Amino acid sequence: MSKVLMKGNEAIGEAAIRAGALNYFAYPITPQSEVAEYLSRRMPEVGGHFLQGESEVAVSYMIFGAAGCGERVFTTSSSPGISLMSEGISYIIGAECPAVFVNIMRGGPGLGGILPSQADYLQATRGVGHGDCRLLVLAPASVQEAVEMVMTAFPLAEKYRNPVMVLGDGLIGQMMEPVEFPDNLKSAPSNKDDWATNGMDTRGRKTRNLVKSLFLDPVELNEHNLKIKRKYEQMEREEVRFEGYNQDGAYRALIVSFGTMSRVCRTAIDIMKADGLEVAMIRPQTLFPYPLQAVRDAAWKKGCQAVFSIEMNMGQMVEDVRLAVQGRCPVHWYGKCGGEVPTPEEVVETVRAVVQ
Amino acid sequence: MWLGCLGGIVIRMSILLKGLVIIAGDFGNGKTEVAINLAVHQKAAGRKVSVADLDLVNPYFRTREARRLLAALGIELVMPDPQYLQADLPIFNPRVTGLMRDPSRLTLLDAGGGDAGVTVLAALADALPHDSVRMLLVVNPLRPYSSTPEACLERCRKIEKAAKLAVTGIIGNANLLEDTVLEHVLAGHEFARSLSQRMGRPLEFITVPASLLEAARPHQFSCPVLPIYRQLVPPWRKPEPLTVPGGAA
Repeated sequence: MSKVLMKGNEAIGEAAIRAGALNYFAYPITPQSEVAEYLSRRMPEVGGHFLQGESEVAVSYMIFGAAGCGERVFTTSSSPGISLMSEGISYIIGAECPAVFVNIMRGGPGLGGILPSQADYLQATRGVGHGDCRLLVLAPASVQEAVEMVMTAFPLAEKYRNPVMVLGDGLIGQMMEPVEFPDNLKSAPSNKDDWATNGMDTRGRKTRNLVKSLFLDPVELNEHNLKIKRKYEQMEREEVRFEGYNQDGAYRALIVSFGTMSRVCRTAIDIMKADGLEVAMIRPQTLFPYPLQAVRDAAWKKGCQAVFSIEMNMGQMVEDVRLAVQGRCPVHWYGKCGGEVPTPEEVVETVRAVVQ
Repeated sequence: MWLGCLGGIVIRMSILLKGLVIIAGDFGNGKTEVAINLAVHQKAAGRKVSVADLDLVNPYFRTREARRLLAALGIELVMPDPQYLQADLPIFNPRVTGLMRDPSRLTLLDAGGGDAGVTVLAALADALPHDSVRMLLVVNPLRPYSSTPEACLERCRKIEKAAKLAVTGIIGNANLLEDTVLEHVLAGHEFARSLSQRMGRPLEFITVPASLLEAARPHQFSCPVLPIYRQLVPPWRKPEPLTVPGGAA
């Protein structure tokens, strides 16, 4: 298919449709409202469903209901909206239902602002809901990658019967880039007859399925949590994704950065390279599971004097970077949160202040 | 100035605009980049130019992002008060109505996308100089919902209804940003010319990315060309130095 010029938010909506997700429930919030606007026009054209909920809390339970019935379903929101959805997300994880949540992050805490941010890193990777909850978190750095990650998110959610989050900052939603929708990422929905409440007649069986997150028997609940834990461990073995940049030769510093911030860092690395300072980068594409080993290997490479975690927040991913590096070399953080995106020049200055 | 030839008749091929010009179009078709480049182009041609950021719809990538450039070039930019620059609120600066009544200068109104974006114009209906105002429709056929003449016509009708104004001309803005190649420009010109004929409204000009100007020069276009030097870029890119043929802006 030939390329078209799309805003990230539009492309995310179209990608979900191409992935066969025809159920979209949402509540508008800047900077991702264009997803709902686009799908309000597009869903009727493809026989899909778009329902605007009365709140994000309601939306999360609409998602739960559709996912429990075995439908491909998704929502999009931005930081405060995701906070409101956290109860529903926990229920969906507890009930082992597949669904896709897209968070186009804005500055916080509270209402914060509407400009780009990566301040929901810890929420997405650690605190998305009560209980032992984890999401598989994908972090796109371009509109094209957002398309591919959204299309990939649905089969991943079904593989693990666990929600997947696509975590982009406001720039991913608002910027325009040429995109295409790869046919090879289209996937057929998995068979859900063994667990979904999709109707006995539908699946030709005489037994009922029950979707629930309530386990009053403590032994049963513990076993349920152990089963979910094994899924997270499988994600850590099978789903870690990352991209390296300028890693082939020797380098004196390593940058770790995700999302659009990594594109600023690329420009910074090119500037430093032209000036004779070699700096490499690891860009995590999955934030959970985190590419601990890749960051560790890159940081421990001979000649690497320092590691920098560059983020649009007040220092969140840096905790994972420190876990990976295990104190073998100094780990520095640089970032901003509030809407100002650190510039390539600021990144260069940060690295140069440590690595001469 | 570029010269074109239609049916053996040499025609003048420069962009000549004056008075009040509204830049409208469906969401994402490139209105703001066109408005910024057009303002600088017309300023370099010796006109007094003002730009009003009337985008009450988009939260990012609005004309106000280019405020420092425009100020440095002596182009007045009317926008919300600085404390509300980053708000997603429908703030309207009353200075706009004053500009509308000043025929001595070119005033570009950069409206928001689609029919929602031009609704504000209906509220200004009493202040608009209806006999001289022009509303130009920016069309990028490489956008969803703008890729066929029928889709463009439908969007045009909705915009006219919401603005309570008629579209008076077309701006062809075919591009895929940095992935634009000459074929996109040539096919986009044909698309815009065909749409113009079908709508019975003139094709005012087409845009060509500055990097493709030399490649495009041997080709015949039925309208003037506005070079585009990208200003609305993400933080990892630098805006292109804004110049115009025949002199620096």
